[in-house]
Amino acid sequence: MSIVTSCKLNASSLIINNQLIHTISGDTIDWKRELYNFYSKDYPKFHKMDPLAKMAFLGILGIEKTTDLSVYDDNEVSMIFANKTSSYKSDSNHFENYTKKNLISPSDFVYTLPNILTGELAIYLKWYGENCFYILEKFDLDFYIEQIEIAFSKGKKACLCGWVESSDKSEDLIIFIIENQNNKINKEEIYSYFK
Amino acid sequence: MKDVFITYGSLVTPLGSSVQENLDALKTNVSGVKVVSNSGFKGENWPLAKIDTITENRFSTLLLNSLIELKSNFDNAILQSEKTLFIISTTKADIENFPEDTFSVINEVLYSELGIKNKPIIVSNACISGVLAINLAADYIRLEKFIDVIVVGIDVVSEFVINGFQSLFALSDEIARPFDKTRKGISLGEGVGIVLLSSNKRNSNFHAKYINGSSSNDANHISGPSRTGEGLVRSINETLKRSNIEKNTINFISAHGTGTLYNDEMESIAFQRTELNTIPMNSLKGYFGHTLGAAGVIETIVSMLSMEHNILFQSLGFSEVGTTEKLNLIEKNEFHEINCVLKTASGFGGGNASLILVKEVK
Repeated sequence: MSIVTSCKLNASSLIINNQLIHTISGDTIDWKRELYNFYSKDYPKFHKMDPLAKMAFLGILGIEKTTDLSVYDDNEVSMIFANKTSSYKSDSNHFENYTKKNLISPSDFVYTLPNILTGELAIYLKWYGENCFYILEKFDLDFYIEQIEIAFSKGKKACLCGWVESSDKSEDLIIFIIENQNNKINKEEIYSYFK
Repeated sequence: MKDVFITYGSLVTPLGSSVQENLDALKTNVSGVKVVSNSGFKGENWPLAKIDTITENRFSTLLLNSLIELKSNFDNAILQSEKTLFIISTTKADIENFPEDTFSVINEVLYSELGIKNKPIIVSNACISGVLAINLAADYIRLEKFIDVIVVGIDVVSEFVINGFQSLFALSDEIARPFDKTRKGISLGEGVGIVLLSSNKRNSNFHAKYINGSSSNDANHISGPSRTGEGLVRSINETLKRSNIEKNTINFISAHGTGTLYNDEMESIAFQRTELNTIPMNSLKGYFGHTLGAAGVIETIVSMLSMEHNILFQSLGFSEVGTTEKLNLIEKNEFHEINCVLKTASGFGGGNASLILVKEVK
């Protein structure tokens, strides 16, 4: 199996390796904070993050439940992240600041770039490797497979792939680690994993 | 490894509406940055590199304008081929249209105006997007997924972005002076650059060979550059390794050089650590402003023009060393043979990217 671990989360559940691990009550104001408390992790930077980065971070904590990420050298994992609406929530925040509240805030503006989340993960994991953020119409496994193929062709040991969406309609995260096994990619395995 | 050739397709900036017009302006060292009254959050008059002739729908108009030269350079057999991919590099796309969808206009324009066959890929990775997109284009060709990949780097000046950079105290109240002792920050700019990467030679005038590229994260801070230049050092070293070339074959470095205190300082340290600080270098932000997602592509086009015409353009705005490590900044236009160029970029999110091109002799 080349997919090592996966984690899916949204406002109602945390799923690791396709198994329901935790049901989020939804009683609290922010389900992400509730999930953060569930992990009992102390990482103060979490509270400053925007929704996209928070979700990506919570996804990594999910992955770490079953997988030791410190086995990878600091440059041998490529991060491939994408979504449809870019940094919509943070964009709204910054937009409302100057259109309605007559203020501008550096900490709000910084998160109006979706790749800040991969920066946050790089800081947390101390990973200096390659990473890129893409805007796609939908979660598209074929796109990830192409990017994984490119990363493996350069000798990367693994890819951390993510789809993370935070819009007015929904908040969703899918994140998975896939390891390089002789540069071969078993597409069928990946398709069936996400069926 | 499979050869990948790169050439320019279109360039629209405040300095001109074509590659030739931009080249002519660069030769005379004019800046596209001008004071725009009442452009700041509190009515400040920020210097900006805005295209005067565009008055509304800046993003879609700019994109449409850039396709005119693209269509004149490459025929439909390439643009509409099943084996051609478009990669778009942009940070905020049509942000003036926010809160409506800001990215969908890209595909609408490309499908309707060019009749493209494959769904474009959008890279949105802050200020290194352009270099990442070119690197990705080469990867797609090397893996024989496509024969031609066209990279469009584009961003516009918007209230959204001006207010943001103003909140960071990152804007300069005079034209940006990258690497200079008196630098105060960035001048925002807008523009679009289009390059074509291919396994074939598609342009009758000029080609460079794309040698290799890479990227690396600082793993240090989401908005401040690393004090040690670690990510940029790693990216440059990896690009050199993948390229299998000696440092002393590089004739010119097209640096990022935004004009902020911390970014330019970081770059000087990274170039010193990689022992590249004696190679002639410039930043083009004094000409085009900082065009964000377009910058890497626009600056790669100018690097190709330097190779084609054997001109090193003055690093506009620089006059006195203003970084801990001394760099070899180009103080006036120089004319000599340029065969090998290193292009670098750094940006928010801790990203750093680089690539190497070598002139392809006709």
